[in-house]
Amino acid sequence: MDVAIKVTACTTEELMIAAIAAELKDGELGFVGLGTAARAYTLAVGIPIAAARLAQMTHAPAFSIYWGNLLTPSLDGIPEATLQDTYTRWQAAASPVDVGYKIDMVTAGRFDVSFESAPQVDRYGNLNITEIGEPDAPPKVRLVGCLAQTEHLAFIRRPIIVTDLSPRAFVERVDFVTSLGHARDGETRDTLGLPGPGPELCVTDKAIFDFATPDGAMRLRSVHPGVSVEEVLSLMSFAPVIDSEVPETPRPSAETVAIIRNDIDPHGVLMTGSARERMA
Amino acid sequence: MKSKLITAAEAVSRIPDGATLAVGGSLLRRQPMVFVRELVRQNRRDLALLTWATTLATDMLAAACAVRRWDGIYAGFFRLGLAPNFRRAVQDGTIETHDYSESAMVARFRARAMGLEFLPNRAMLGTGMETKSPDAVKRITCPYTGKPVLALRAADADFTILHGYAADEYGNVQWPIVRDSDDIDQMMASSSRRLFVSVECIVPHEEIARRPALTYIPHTLVEGIVHAPRGAHPTATDGFYDEDEDALEDWLEAARAGRSAEWLDANVRPLADHEAYLAKLGGEAALARFDVTEREYA
Repeated sequence: MDVAIKVTACTTEELMIAAIAAELKDGELGFVGLGTAARAYTLAVGIPIAAARLAQMTHAPAFSIYWGNLLTPSLDGIPEATLQDTYTRWQAAASPVDVGYKIDMVTAGRFDVSFESAPQVDRYGNLNITEIGEPDAPPKVRLVGCLAQTEHLAFIRRPIIVTDLSPRAFVERVDFVTSLGHARDGETRDTLGLPGPGPELCVTDKAIFDFATPDGAMRLRSVHPGVSVEEVLSLMSFAPVIDSEVPETPRPSAETVAIIRNDIDPHGVLMTGSARERMA
Repeated sequence: MKSKLITAAEAVSRIPDGATLAVGGSLLRRQPMVFVRELVRQNRRDLALLTWATTLATDMLAAACAVRRWDGIYAGFFRLGLAPNFRRAVQDGTIETHDYSESAMVARFRARAMGLEFLPNRAMLGTGMETKSPDAVKRITCPYTGKPVLALRAADADFTILHGYAADEYGNVQWPIVRDSDDIDQMMASSSRRLFVSVECIVPHEEIARRPALTYIPHTLVEGIVHAPRGAHPTATDGFYDEDEDALEDWLEAARAGRSAEWLDANVRPLADHEAYLAKLGGEAALARFDVTEREYA
């Protein structure tokens, strides 16, 4: 059979999981947030945890995560995200006395990678999870606050944004900066003396972006199989930097897809907010 | 040591309108609902809240029109969505918000616990939070590096309300060995001026004295201890019982429909106390189904 036409069938989420797992290195420490409901849970928790487990099972056996206030929770059997006691009894290597110790580890630069989702992302990777609307007036839409996302972008070496592509989410300029990306109003990470380099990647359901440009503006790194550059642009309210050749996001191998389906998430717990749509 | 056992009604009667109140718990765990329901019953107004990741406590106080200001890291309902009453009140300008990231809120509580006016922090440099709260976030220059840092004002609560696990009558509060630690209740206790703690059970002092390293809130910090089994209901107390999802959804359904005031009139205000609240829910016969399987305390 011609290799070129032997295409692995996979879901968009499986493609995202494999792409993120490829970025995780052996011995690194990653921060996974708590996530909220439905699709936000899949983006913020499900896909990152599956990617972490995939990395552990393939090229990065000593990749660790911090989830909630659990350091290196067992990912052998991922608990169903239902009631509180499931989390309480989730086995882990450590659960420090309070969450202040965890946030100390973040601000002291002990984390390598983190995963972020947000209702608003802009050209420079600024994120907004706080409020939508004009400054100096009550917000049109109040969101949740800040959590530790601010720290992630300020201090972690390679924050990875995981968010669905849409014109409402990908805006020229976020209404409120919860977490600073590469620049805002003439201030940069250098002038502020922020230790972390800022967001590294933005993995979406249609394409992957990076910030490998002189001013830290978003650049289209690859488009997922079957997605055109035009479609990507139609789902954004600003135009990212686009090189003359835009490669396709690599498809996961059949073996990788089998590991995700059979070993990592056999009950579909991590993908509760997924459409489970299969790519051609 | 002397007994500090009091009722929730007594504790709340000491909290005046306009007070700044630190509220413990995190997400759907250990929201200090016994005190919150009592604040609603006693019709408290103009409170300024200091919270970690808050859910029902803040949404219920918002529904009761008891809040003028909120400082915290998160207000929502975790996997159940957003906090409808809080959200509406923020959007119509009734509640003023002051947002802080996790290390910033930790710095504010630690500063107060250390007796300092502020602690320096870099996380919020260049963010919207830096300019949103000029009375508590000021950019200064680090005397060692010459780089900018933010001086974050100490979190100074007049009163602090927490829901804990087990305590003796003197106010030594212990956590179980298997528990959740994704909150800052201990930090809130260390930074408190007047602290009230409700607990699931009161145990003999000898029980506490056997394992003093489990005492996360010592009696010297506590003004009043309230015995309140299932006191976090409908949120969970780790090691004791899970959250009551149906009750949370019932609250949210009324909240989304703008009927929370009526809900409070029917389900909180007419009830004399926590005992009456539990009885209305059907008592132990109905509530035992939320118990976790492995409990350290009987």
